[in-house]
Amino acid sequence: MDSTESFPVRKSVPWRTLDTEALVVDVKGGLLYPLNSVGARIWDLCDGARSVDEIVGMLAAEFAAPETTIRTDAIEFIERLADAKLVSIERRRTGDSR
Amino acid sequence: MANRTPRIEVAGFVFRVAGLAAAGRTWVEDRYGPFLSRRAPTFGVHVRSSERYRPGRTPRPSVTWTDGRFALATHPSRAEGDLGRRRVAFRGGPGPALNPDLFRLLCSFLLMQKGGVLLHASAVVDRGRAWVFSGPSGSGKTTIAGLAGDRAVLNDETIALRPGARGWEACATPFYGSGGPAMARVNDRAPIRGLCFLEKADHFAHRRLTPSEAVSRAFPEVMLPKREALVTERLLATLASLAAVVPAWELAFAPTTAIWSYLDGLD
Repeated sequence: MDSTESFPVRKSVPWRTLDTEALVVDVKGGLLYPLNSVGARIWDLCDGARSVDEIVGMLAAEFAAPETTIRTDAIEFIERLADAKLVSIERRRTGDSR
Repeated sequence: MANRTPRIEVAGFVFRVAGLAAAGRTWVEDRYGPFLSRRAPTFGVHVRSSERYRPGRTPRPSVTWTDGRFALATHPSRAEGDLGRRRVAFRGGPGPALNPDLFRLLCSFLLMQKGGVLLHASAVVDRGRAWVFSGPSGSGKTTIAGLAGDRAVLNDETIALRPGARGWEACATPFYGSGGPAMARVNDRAPIRGLCFLEKADHFAHRRLTPSEAVSRAFPEVMLPKREALVTERLLATLASLAAVVPAWELAFAPTTAIWSYLDGLD
């Protein structure tokens, strides 16, 4: 996972935010994934424009944890979302950088 | 009522069940007795002749829904309907004249259209308000219903939840569980006092759930296949709306009648 990649939420995935948490449905598997506030924030940041560096930077500014820990956790979490086919991993378009 | 076309009322829907032979009509009137109605029908169900029995792998229940038309399937029966025309054709396999599994799926689908859900739950009315108890099989839904005493049991397995004039209401259904027909003797409804997700224990304990937790617990207990994005989106919205106003708890309970006084103390 590097700065050339982005992570858009798949259009076919139903999801909903409740307070600071989120609920995401794997329609094919008929499963619901509840996300805690950190997971919900990462989900929110998976907008198809931000790179993992940008996502980690924003999380580090919002949550009290070492950036190295946040990076490890965020990458693992996004990979799990991708494995479950809830987000895709795509090459960022030129000019997507924020 | 022997020679009339039966009408069955579930959670405010009045189904006129046509196309039944005399034996089928008798079966329907016996199976759905407490839910027979004389009110004007709101939806027509036409039962067509049975299809040939085809041995093989049992397909998963399914719901498809496009532009007001819908198709439901629970092996070995299926139904095709039109929401605008308020009618549905049942094509039954061998067995009951009006397949309860398919009829339950129809009720669940129509309830979703009205912003409600059909939940895998029991419900008991205590002093005019309904406690709804949900959870997977074996979690204690029928056990609690059996502890109701002189309180009305709305069902031990399947409860309709829908928004009404007095807020969210729990409605009886004819789709009973291991408690048998005795658990579906009353066609009534009541405002919901609370929603409890059960865990059998030798003691009482509870924890208030956040709206997100309540939706997560309720989602798998909704009696709808969840493999259509349109259905799932509607379901999420409905459960979020429910969880925003109806309190929900995780409840461990000992199977004694002390549960009713324990529930009084939930906050």
